[in-house]
Amino acid sequence: MIELLRLCGYEEKEIASDLPRVERAFSKLGITAEDIERAKQRLNKYYDMELKGVRKILRLCIQELVNWTLAKEEGKTKFIYAFMATGFFDALGYVVLSKSKEVYVGDLCSLHQLILGSIFDKIVPILEAAENKWLKAGAVAHCGNVKALVGLITLDLVPKPDLLVNSGVLCETAPKSVNLLHEFYDIPTCCYDTCQDRDIREYPEATKRIADLLLKSSRRLIHMIEEIVGFKITDDMVREANEARKQLGKALDNLQNLVSSSDPLVISANHQSLWIQLLFLPLSKDRLPEALDAVNTLHEELQERVNKRVGVVEKGAPRIVAILPSHYTDPSLDHIVGEMGMALVSTDMFFPVSDLGDIEDPYEKLSVEGVQTSIHNSLARRVVSITEGCKKLKVDGVLDRFHIGCRTVTADALMIKDAITKELGIPVLLVERDDFDPRVCNHEQYKKSLEVFKSMLTSER
Amino acid sequence: MQEERLTAHLRDRPEQLREAKKQGVKIIGSLLGNYVPEEIIWASGAVPICLAHGGSSDMAEAALSVVPHVICPFARAQISERLLKKDPYYTLIDMLVAPITCQHLRKISEIWEHWEHNDDIEMFKLGIPHKYNGDFELEYYTDRLRVMKDKLQAFTGNAITDEKISEAIELYNKMRGLLKKISLLRRAPDTPLSALDFIRLNHASFYADPVFMVDFLDSVYQELREKQQVNKGDMPRLLLIGPNMGYGDYKVLELVETVGGEIVIEELCEGVRYYWQDIENKGDLFQSLAKGYLADRLPCAFMRDSAKTRLDFALKLITDFNVSGVIWYELLNCETYDSESYFFAQKMGERNIPILILESSYGTADAGPLKTRLEAFIEIVKGGIAQ
Repeated sequence: MIELLRLCGYEEKEIASDLPRVERAFSKLGITAEDIERAKQRLNKYYDMELKGVRKILRLCIQELVNWTLAKEEGKTKFIYAFMATGFFDALGYVVLSKSKEVYVGDLCSLHQLILGSIFDKIVPILEAAENKWLKAGAVAHCGNVKALVGLITLDLVPKPDLLVNSGVLCETAPKSVNLLHEFYDIPTCCYDTCQDRDIREYPEATKRIADLLLKSSRRLIHMIEEIVGFKITDDMVREANEARKQLGKALDNLQNLVSSSDPLVISANHQSLWIQLLFLPLSKDRLPEALDAVNTLHEELQERVNKRVGVVEKGAPRIVAILPSHYTDPSLDHIVGEMGMALVSTDMFFPVSDLGDIEDPYEKLSVEGVQTSIHNSLARRVVSITEGCKKLKVDGVLDRFHIGCRTVTADALMIKDAITKELGIPVLLVERDDFDPRVCNHEQYKKSLEVFKSMLTSER
Repeated sequence: MQEERLTAHLRDRPEQLREAKKQGVKIIGSLLGNYVPEEIIWASGAVPICLAHGGSSDMAEAALSVVPHVICPFARAQISERLLKKDPYYTLIDMLVAPITCQHLRKISEIWEHWEHNDDIEMFKLGIPHKYNGDFELEYYTDRLRVMKDKLQAFTGNAITDEKISEAIELYNKMRGLLKKISLLRRAPDTPLSALDFIRLNHASFYADPVFMVDFLDSVYQELREKQQVNKGDMPRLLLIGPNMGYGDYKVLELVETVGGEIVIEELCEGVRYYWQDIENKGDLFQSLAKGYLADRLPCAFMRDSAKTRLDFALKLITDFNVSGVIWYELLNCETYDSESYFFAQKMGERNIPILILESSYGTADAGPLKTRLEAFIEIVKGGIAQ
C-alpha cells in the first residue's frame, strides 16, 4: 500500500497520517493486497509515472475517493451526487463544498471508473451488479456508464444520496435508471433537461433556444439543492465558481493544445482521461489550487519534453484524431495506439462547435456550455465540427470509435466516417466498444485493425 | 363489408395523394409516437401522414449500411424507407415534422437532415420535452408548435387561423373518441374485435383521409355494438405494453391469437396514449394542443420520472379490462423499455400478475421459440400462477 501511495505522489508525512484512512476506504471498496500489486503494475505500464504532474493528479484522485468513501463516518450528513451533469453541476459543487462542512458533493462515476477501473481493474463486479438489476448484459447494449452508477449505488460503495442529479441532454437511459433508483431505493432525484431539436440551418441561434430551456430547468434544480444545503445559492456565488473553474478549464485547454501540437507526441493518449478527471472532481475553493497546480506541473514537464524533442512516439509518426474521449476503465486501448507508433493527438470533444461570445448570466453561461461540445450536437453539425478540427490539426487519419451504449453517438459513427472519407480523403477506422466497460472490446481484433489502419496511414503519405 | 371499404380506401390512397399534390396540396409526414398534432397540419390545408411502417426484417437490415445494429429496428426501418424510396408514402411527403422523442427517433431526423441537402423534402424538428409535466417544458413545446404553424403557413401558402385549428381539433377529437369507444367495447367479457383488428384500424388512421376515417370508424362502432357476442370460453385476457407496433409488425399479435390468448387492450404509442383523451377546443388552442399532446397524455417510457405513472395506468387497465396477464413487447436495443421491463416485472410479480417480456428485432427466425414461449405463458395465465 505504502509503495502505491508513494507511486501516486503521496509525501512521506502524508502517508504516515493518511494510511489508516486509505486502508479503511480501500477495505470498504473491496481492494485487496493482490489488487494493489496489480494497480502498481498497471500504473507503471500504462502511465507516465516519471511525470510529477501525473502523480499529482493521481494523488488528488485517490484522496478524493478516500474522502468520498469515508464521508459518512467522518461526519458528512448530506450527500448530493451528479451523474452526467458535468459543467453545470460542478460549479454548484464548488459553491456547496466551499461553504458547507456537512454536505458532500460528488460526480458519479468517473472517479470510481478511473481508480477502480483503469488503475485496479476492478470495475467488472460493479457492472455485473447493475446487470443483475435492470441493465441486463447482452444484445440490448446498455451503457457501461449507467451500469457503473447503478452498481456503485446498489453495492453501497457510495453513501446513499439525498439528491441524485442527472441531465438528460444526451440520453434517456440515464434518466430512466435514475428514475428506477428512485422507485426501488427511494432516492430523491432531479433531472434537468432540454430538447435536442436544433436544425443545422439555425445555428448558433438555436443553441440559445435550447440552452434557455436548460437554464430554466436548472434553476428548478437550484431550489432543490438549496433546501438540502440550507442556504441560498446566489448568482454571485455561481459567478465566482465559474471564474475559479475557468482557470482550471484554461489550464486544461493549454495542456491539450500543447499535446495536440507536439511532434513527437509528448504523452500517450490514455492520459487524457486522467487530466479530464479533474473536471469531474468535487473541488472546493481550497482544493481547486491543488488541481491547478497539478495541471500546470504537467504542462511544464511536457513543455520541457517539447523543447528537448522527446516524445512517446517517433517524430513524424502518423497523426490521428479520435472520436470520443479515452476509455474510462481500460487504459490499454489508447496506450496501444502509441505503442504501435501512431500519435493520437486529440479527440472531437475538444473541437469547438459554435461560439456565442461572452455571456454575463452565470447560469446561462453554464447552460450554453452544456450543449456545446461535439457529442451534444446533431449529426450534421458534428460532421462540420469534426472535419474542420481534422483539417486544423492536419491529421492523417481518424479513429472513429463509438460507444455502443450510447445511441446518440453510435448512430452517427458510419455517417461521420463517410463524410470524413469524402471530404478529407483520409482513412477512418471504425471501432465498436463500450467506453466504460473493458469487456466490450476484442483486444486482439482491435490490435489487428490498428495494424491495418497504420499501414493505410503510412501508404497514404 | 366494412373491411372492404377500408381496404379500398388505403389501396387508392397513394393515388389520391399524388392527385392532391398535382393540385398543389402539400403532404406532411410525421414520425410515430403521436407527439405531432395533426390538427396544425390539417388546418394548413396539407395532408398529414404518420409514417409508421415497421415489422420488416429486410427494412431493419437495409439501414445497417448507415447506422450500427444498436439502433432499434423501427428507427432503422424508417431510415431504410427513405434510403430505398420504394414505399409511396415515404416518397410522397413534401416535409417531415420530426418529433425529437427518444434518441433512436432523434437520429432518424438527423440522418434525414444530413441527406436533406441532396433531397427533396423539408424538415422541421419538433422538440418534445422529456419532462412532460413541467411548466417550462410545456411552454417550450407550445412555442415550438407555434413555430411549426409559421413554418407550415410559409410552406403551404395558407393561413392557419384559429377557426381552422378548431375545426381540425373537432375532427381529430371525433377520431380519437371513436377509437376509444371501439376500444372500450373490449371491456365486455366477449370482445367484439381482436387486438390485431383494432391495431389495424389505428394504423389505418395514420394514412387514411381523416374525414373518411371518422365516418368509417363510426360505422365500425355501430356494427360492433350490435354484433352478436361469441363466447370465448377460458381464453385469457391480456394487456399488451410496448413502445410502438409498426404498421405491418403483427407477428406477436397473430401468434397470441394462435396460441389461444386474447389481447384486450394495448398501451402503445399508437394505442391508448393517443386516443384516451380529447383536446380541449377552447381558449388558446396552441396551449390546448400542447397540454393534450404532452402534459395530459400517458407518458412514454423515455419520459422523465414516468415509471410509476405508467405502472399505475397499466394497473388501472388491468382492473378495467379484467386482464389476467401482461405481454411486454419491446424492440431490440430500446434501452428505456428494457430497463422498465424489470420494474414492471417486479411490480406485477408482487401482485401475482403474470408478465411475459418479448423482444423483437423484426427477424423471422424467432417465430418458433416465440410461439413456444407464448404457449407456456398462456398456460401459466390459465393456471393463475405467477411466473
